[in-house]
Amino acid sequence: MIKAQNVVKIFNGYSGVVRAVDGVSTEVAKGEVVVIIGPSGSGKSTFLRCINGLEAFTEGHIIIDGVDLADKKTNINKVRAEVGMVFQQFNLFPHKTVLENLTLAQCRVRKRSKKVAEEKARMLLRKVGIHEKADDFPSRLSGGQQQRVAIARALAMDPKIMLFDEPTSALDPEMVGEVLDVMKQLAKEGMTMMVVTHEMGFAREVADRVIFMDEGKVVEVGTPEHFFTNPKEERAKLFLKQVL
Amino acid sequence: MVERNSVKTSLINRTAKKFRRQKDTLLNATDKTWPWKLLLAVILIGVAASTWGAVQRIDYQWRWNRVPQYFAYVSEDAQKIPFDGKVIAIVSQGKDVAVTVASGKAEKAVLTVAADTLKVTDGEELLSGATVGFTKSWHLGPLMLGLWTTLWLSAVSSFFGLILGLITGLARISKNFTIRWLALLYVECIRGTPLLVQIFIAYFFLGTVFNLSRNVCGVGALALFAGAYVAEIVRAGIQSISKGQTEAARSLGMTALQTMRDVVMPQAFKRILPPLSGQFISLIKDSSLVSVIAITDLAKSGREIITSTFATFEVWLIVAAMYLLVTSLLSQLVFYMERRLAVSD
Repeated sequence: MIKAQNVVKIFNGYSGVVRAVDGVSTEVAKGEVVVIIGPSGSGKSTFLRCINGLEAFTEGHIIIDGVDLADKKTNINKVRAEVGMVFQQFNLFPHKTVLENLTLAQCRVRKRSKKVAEEKARMLLRKVGIHEKADDFPSRLSGGQQQRVAIARALAMDPKIMLFDEPTSALDPEMVGEVLDVMKQLAKEGMTMMVVTHEMGFAREVADRVIFMDEGKVVEVGTPEHFFTNPKEERAKLFLKQVL
Repeated sequence: MVERNSVKTSLINRTAKKFRRQKDTLLNATDKTWPWKLLLAVILIGVAASTWGAVQRIDYQWRWNRVPQYFAYVSEDAQKIPFDGKVIAIVSQGKDVAVTVASGKAEKAVLTVAADTLKVTDGEELLSGATVGFTKSWHLGPLMLGLWTTLWLSAVSSFFGLILGLITGLARISKNFTIRWLALLYVECIRGTPLLVQIFIAYFFLGTVFNLSRNVCGVGALALFAGAYVAEIVRAGIQSISKGQTEAARSLGMTALQTMRDVVMPQAFKRILPPLSGQFISLIKDSSLVSVIAITDLAKSGREIITSTFATFEVWLIVAAMYLLVTSLLSQLVFYMERRLAVSD
C-alpha cells in the first residue's frame, strides 16, 4: 500500500545542510499498523510528513497505491484525500463548529452534499464518543476531545491510510487514554496506520511492526515482541533503557 | 473533638473575613476613582477656560449663529405674474395660499406661495413681472454636501483599496519572485512618499497624461494609498495564522485556493478587522487632502464658507466635529462586528 524507496530529505538551514531523512526504505501492507519510534530529531515526523507530501522529499520514491509522489504529474491533492493525517497540535479549524470541521473537506474535496456529509460526520462523532459536542466550537473542547474530533475529521474522507504524528504528545496525561482507545479501535477494524509516537505501551499492544529511527536512518525493524524484549542494535537498547 | 471543631469554625470565620475584606477592597477600588474623575474634569475645564481666555485676549467675534445655515437653509423663490392682470381669488391651503390671477385677455394663472410671504390683496391690479409672493424650500448647505462628498469618496476608495490590498497582500506572500517583488515595490513606493505628493502626481501628471477627471484622480490616489497599507495588514494577518491550519486543510486534500478561502482568510479576517478599520478611519481623515485638487469635500467646503463668513474658528471646529462624528460612528460599528465575530473564541 505504501512503498518508500531510499527517501532523502535535506533541509538547508542557516546552520548548514541537514539530512533529516537519510535513505529510508520501507513497505506497509494493507491493514498493517506500523509504529515509528526514536529519539527527537531522528527524522521520524519528517518521514511521516513526506508520505502525504506535506514535506517535499529531496530524493527517492514514495509510492502510495501505485502512485509515485516523486512524479511531477501526480496530483498531490488526490493522494492526500486518501491519506488521513492527525497532528500533534490537533489543528482543528477554530472558526468552524465541530460538525463543520468534519464536513468542510467532504463537501469541497469529495463533493458530497451537505446532508450526506453531515450524516457521515455525526456517525463518526458517535464513533469517537463526542456526538453531543457537534455544534460546539473546538475551543470549548478538552485536548483529548479535540484530538478525537481531529481523528474523526480525517476519517470523514474515507482514507485508505491514516498517519498519526505524535497524536498524544500535546495532551494532559489523563486524556491520552481516550485518544489511544480510538486508535486501537481503528487498528482492530483493519485500518492501515503509520504512527509516530512515544507511547511504548501502544506500540507494544497494537503495532504489527516497529521501526526504530535515529539520525534520519532506520536503525532497527521488527515485531514489538522482538524489539521490546530483544533489540539487536546498541542505539535501540540505549533508547529503550531511557524511555522504559 | 471540641477543639477540632473550634479550629474549623475559626478557619471558616477567617475565610469569611478574608472574602469580606476582598469585597471591601473591590468596592473601595471603584469608589476611589472619583478623585481621578474630578481631576480629569478639572483638567478639561482648565483647557477649555484657558483657550477661552486666550481667544478673549485677541478680541475674536464669535458668530455661531452664522453656522446653521451652512448645514441646511430655506431658499425663497419669487413667484411673479407673467402678464398684466388682476388678482381674482386668494384661497388659503394651510401654510400656503393659492393666488389666482387673470388678465384682460382671459389669460389665467394660479400661483402658490407661502402664506407669510403674500404680497398682494384680492382685487389688486398687477403689472407683468410683479412679485406675488415666495415659495419656500429646504436645501442642504455646503457642509452637508461636503460631508456627502467626503463619505462617498472615502467609501469608493476604501472599496478599491480593500480589493487592491487583498490582491497585493496575497501577492506579497506568493511563491513567484516577480509577483512578490512587484507587490513589494508598490507597497514601498506608496508608503515611502507623502499622500499629498501622490495626489499631486495623480492629478497633475497622470490626470493630464491620461485625461482623467479630478474625481477619478482623487479616488485613485486614495485607493492606491490605502491599498498599500491594507496589503501589509492582510499579509501580516495571513502569516499570523498558524501553519498547522494550512497543513490540516491541505492534508485533507483541499487545494491551496480552498484552504485560503475556507480556512485561512476567515480566521485572518477576524484578526485584521481592528487594524483594517483603523486604516479606513484614517482614510476618511486623509481624504481631506483631495481638497487641494479642488474636490469640494468637507474640508474644502469649510474653507469656502470661511471666505464668505470669516467665521474661521467656528467653521473649523464644526468641520472637525463632523469628521469626529463619522469616525466614531465607524469605530462603534467595528466594535460591534468584533463582538459578533468573537463567538468562536
